[in-house]
Amino acid sequence: MQELLGRIARLDPSASLGLRVIACFDELVIGRVNTRALLASAASLAACTAGFEQRSPARVVRIAPDGHRDETHAPSRRPEMTAHATDDLQVWLERDGPQQPNDAIILERLALAVRIRHGHGRREFDNRRHFGLLVDETVDEEQRCISATALGLMAGRDYRVAVAPLFAVWSTHPSGPEDVVPTQFGPVHAVVIPADQEDLDATPCGIGSPTQVSELHRSFRTAMVALRLCDPPSAPLVRADDLGGIVGLLADSAGVSRHPDVEQLATLLEHPWGAATIAAVVRTGTVRQAAREVGIHHSTMQDRVETIERVLGFDPLDGFGRTRLGTAHVLWRLENSRVLELPPPGTS
Amino acid sequence: MTTLPTPPRPAFDAELRAGLAVVGGMFPPTITPDLIDFMRVSYASPPLDDAFLERRITRQDHTIASHDGFPTLVSVLRHADASGVVPAVLYAHSGGLMFGDRFSGIDLVLDWVDQLGAALVTVEYRLAPEYPDPHAREDMYAALLWLAEHADALNVRADRILVAGASAGGGLAAGVALAARDRNGPALCGQVLDYPMLDDRCATPSTSQFDGVGVWDRVSNVTGWDALLGAARGTAHVSPYAAPSRATDLANLPPAFVDVGAAEIFRDEAIDYARAIWTAGGDAELHVWSGAFHACDIFAPHTAVSRSMIAARNAWVEKTLAD
Repeated sequence: MQELLGRIARLDPSASLGLRVIACFDELVIGRVNTRALLASAASLAACTAGFEQRSPARVVRIAPDGHRDETHAPSRRPEMTAHATDDLQVWLERDGPQQPNDAIILERLALAVRIRHGHGRREFDNRRHFGLLVDETVDEEQRCISATALGLMAGRDYRVAVAPLFAVWSTHPSGPEDVVPTQFGPVHAVVIPADQEDLDATPCGIGSPTQVSELHRSFRTAMVALRLCDPPSAPLVRADDLGGIVGLLADSAGVSRHPDVEQLATLLEHPWGAATIAAVVRTGTVRQAAREVGIHHSTMQDRVETIERVLGFDPLDGFGRTRLGTAHVLWRLENSRVLELPPPGTS
Repeated sequence: MTTLPTPPRPAFDAELRAGLAVVGGMFPPTITPDLIDFMRVSYASPPLDDAFLERRITRQDHTIASHDGFPTLVSVLRHADASGVVPAVLYAHSGGLMFGDRFSGIDLVLDWVDQLGAALVTVEYRLAPEYPDPHAREDMYAALLWLAEHADALNVRADRILVAGASAGGGLAAGVALAARDRNGPALCGQVLDYPMLDDRCATPSTSQFDGVGVWDRVSNVTGWDALLGAARGTAHVSPYAAPSRATDLANLPPAFVDVGAAEIFRDEAIDYARAIWTAGGDAELHVWSGAFHACDIFAPHTAVSRSMIAARNAWVEKTLAD
């Protein structure tokens, strides 16, 4: 995988490889893999053998970058390439030559993962870090508040969570606590910022609703909704606040059920005129304004609105029909979001 | 684009999920036509001269004439210590029919060169969409004819030629085996089809299980087949040599080795292909690897599932190919 990291760095010099190493070990810890697998990933990331020693009972494991046991004679351990997972457990990299940029983070994460694998982490949440606990609603409130304090957040103040893909481009990097958090959409880079902080600029990026410390899991979920509604370059950053009350509903109904309105809308969006027309109708709410926004004659827009009405089975400009269209449109955008996939170079 | 909730799907193996956190930046799960140029840069093979030197592998390039006279480049790789007449492997690389080169993913195949002494003939077949069907498969077939005709000069055994390929290359390898049978071409001693891309119809349950996750999802597959076949994709006008799942007669083929991940879109077409060979009375060995995403052995060879996959494949190749 070191070769892959090298390729990523060449394709995108601003890519944060350290975050990928963290995300990689997060998955290994969550997946409860064994010591050999942890060493194999470390060796593969570092492109040199990774080792493990337990004093009692005595056990040494050395794994080469290809995942096989390294049967060669072990070189003497370099202190700067060795980490103590516990008093009893040591891990190291057998680097021949100068230290490489990612060695320190690989070693740190390997030591942490080995420590947890061998049962030395905290009892209940030993496989999770504070940030992951803070934004997980299934964790009890007391633990979330402990994690918030450990991260330096103050009770009684309002904060927001901002989330971005690992490949996001940050022009202004906030100073709050940050980490990589696994989600159903893949790992994201998350950061906690004061609710009133304005100077955050990343592409793409979702900024969550302001909440108390104990409710930051909600801010995280609304930030994920906002992120998935990003569409760079036209919408590089989305704020949950701009979606009003609907963002909370969306955050709590994560794509589990079928929506007939969304399915009908999808067929309309296959028309060449579909995307621009529907976006304009949702935004403006009248035929004339929508026509002006798209740059067509209002009678053409009237025809299109009639097509929309025929397919959807309700008038998209009348009363509750507007709410239905707007809701279906935002759900469709969420379900078809590609924002967490790496864009081709030069487009971000 | 789908608006239906994603159907349930087998989870990726934990070690492989960790690998995806790294791979994700280089090989996006969903490849659309506008990503072809990016993939051609991203998936290009790294310089290999040092690796060849280290493994004591020599390389000879030849330019051969394809079916239409097009000059096709092939490289013949063999171990410095291999002497005398050796078995040969004709290899088709991965890359979705649209990217990659004859050295993409070659690391794993080099095991057969330095451990079994085989000569590896790897082909720079033409890529879609610039070169649609039948160029890629006919470039491969022309390389097979050239290899068999020049067996003496190349010091390889004409009676011990194995065809192998990964992903898109697996589909091409299966197509070469079908064409060699139908055209009374050179005899093959086996076909190795690694997670092969066999079916342009993209309609199996496993195809719809993987959207936007892993490596090579449903949309990527549609992109690849559209590039190769254009408007013919999914119609009655697709050759079984391009999409071997279309073949109705799978009798009298060389022994097949098929491996595939349980967590990838090609799972069902690979299983169906092996089943069809058995139904026709043929010889197939099928391995379906739990938790494996597409080409995990190339992207994350250090993981337990990839090591098992590689070991099983190498054992079959040794049995089939080695002196």
